[in-house]
Amino acid sequence: MIQTRGFRNRAAGDGFEVRLRLPYYRGLWTNLIEGATITVDGERFAADDIGWSIGGVRYSPAELRASETARWPVDVPAILAVPRPRPLSIGFHTVAAELRLRMSYIPEELQPTVWSEERRLVITR
Amino acid sequence: MTEPRFEYGVSLYSYTGEYGVTMTLDDCVEDVADLGATGLEILGEAHVQDYPNPPAAWIDAWFARLERYGLTPTCYGSWVDTRRFGGRPMTVDEAVWQLETDIRLAATLGFRFVRPKLGVVTSDLEPDPVWEPATERVLDLAAEKGIVICPEIHWPSVIRSKVVDDYLAFIERTGTEHFGLLMDTGVFQTRMHHRRGGVASRLGEGSARPPEVPVVPVSDLEDVLDHVVHVQAKFYEIDDDLRDQYIPWAEFLEIILRRGWSGYLSSEYEGDYGVGRAADQLRRQHALIRRLVTPA
Repeated sequence: MIQTRGFRNRAAGDGFEVRLRLPYYRGLWTNLIEGATITVDGERFAADDIGWSIGGVRYSPAELRASETARWPVDVPAILAVPRPRPLSIGFHTVAAELRLRMSYIPEELQPTVWSEERRLVITR
Repeated sequence: MTEPRFEYGVSLYSYTGEYGVTMTLDDCVEDVADLGATGLEILGEAHVQDYPNPPAAWIDAWFARLERYGLTPTCYGSWVDTRRFGGRPMTVDEAVWQLETDIRLAATLGFRFVRPKLGVVTSDLEPDPVWEPATERVLDLAAEKGIVICPEIHWPSVIRSKVVDDYLAFIERTGTEHFGLLMDTGVFQTRMHHRRGGVASRLGEGSARPPEVPVVPVSDLEDVLDHVVHVQAKFYEIDDDLRDQYIPWAEFLEIILRRGWSGYLSSEYEGDYGVGRAADQLRRQHALIRRLVTPA
């Protein structure tokens, strides 16, 4: 889910980016995405503060949930823009992601499906 | 044993974890042909580029690939995601749109069966009631396109259930030949397999746990086999002695051979993740089945 590629500080100095590949086996209408939280070195960023970009189109989490036509394909990793007042230092960081997806074919009390992963990533810039 | 009338297929679902990571679509399709299958099953939302509107060049490449490898498209997996719209249910019009979109795309790609995975409304997996009026409205399109719509009977659903009774009543009431059942052999698992590898996931935020599911006797298949149009030959692990500790293949094959069932056994590997595992396990399963139906 968490990609080695795409982990970088934003040029504007307003945060960093993490790239996520959909861990599920099919692409989804984006209104099935409840959001993703990102944690870096123990610092947690709320899902609703994180901007998404899929195939070059930018969405807020609310826009993902509201769209009736947008899709997140399996082979198109999403770029998550995480706001942070200072850039991350060059070198290792422990990055965790928790992605919440709504599956219609699983009983409601067992939803959402929550995917979680933690990786040690290197940021170079 | 009687001469088999069924054919061998593979669902590309089997390559989950490898597709798009270690294998391209072309690699997967080549692998299906190489292991001796003739039927190819896909999932629209996973395997079709730019779903639901693939570029013309992709469609041309699709047919060129089928011809190169001598494969026949069997079943196209689709979803009716009834929880797409936040707090409100999906309307009949929205469900019709989804079904029509997939029926058209499946027909364009040469498929004969469309499996809609339906949203559920109860703990015991009753489908959202929208399925019935929506399916009824797309039957004419299915007929025009030569498609049979077949929702799956999939673990943890069981054969003797209201869900299956409702599907059979629908066939009876409408008299349609464009609706049938897809049987997923995972229903007959004699014990649970816990898939290892891949990204960790959990179901829900609370303490709710899936209900215990009774073992379904393979003999229950006899009751519904006349309406089964496609089989997803789900399996989890074939061991080094070519035995399956989860799915009772001998009993299953005895029934479909005796009854002269024709259609595709479309393999669906859902075991542990690992590079090269799907390709190896699919071959093991095909060898196991071919040995059972070919007396030494």
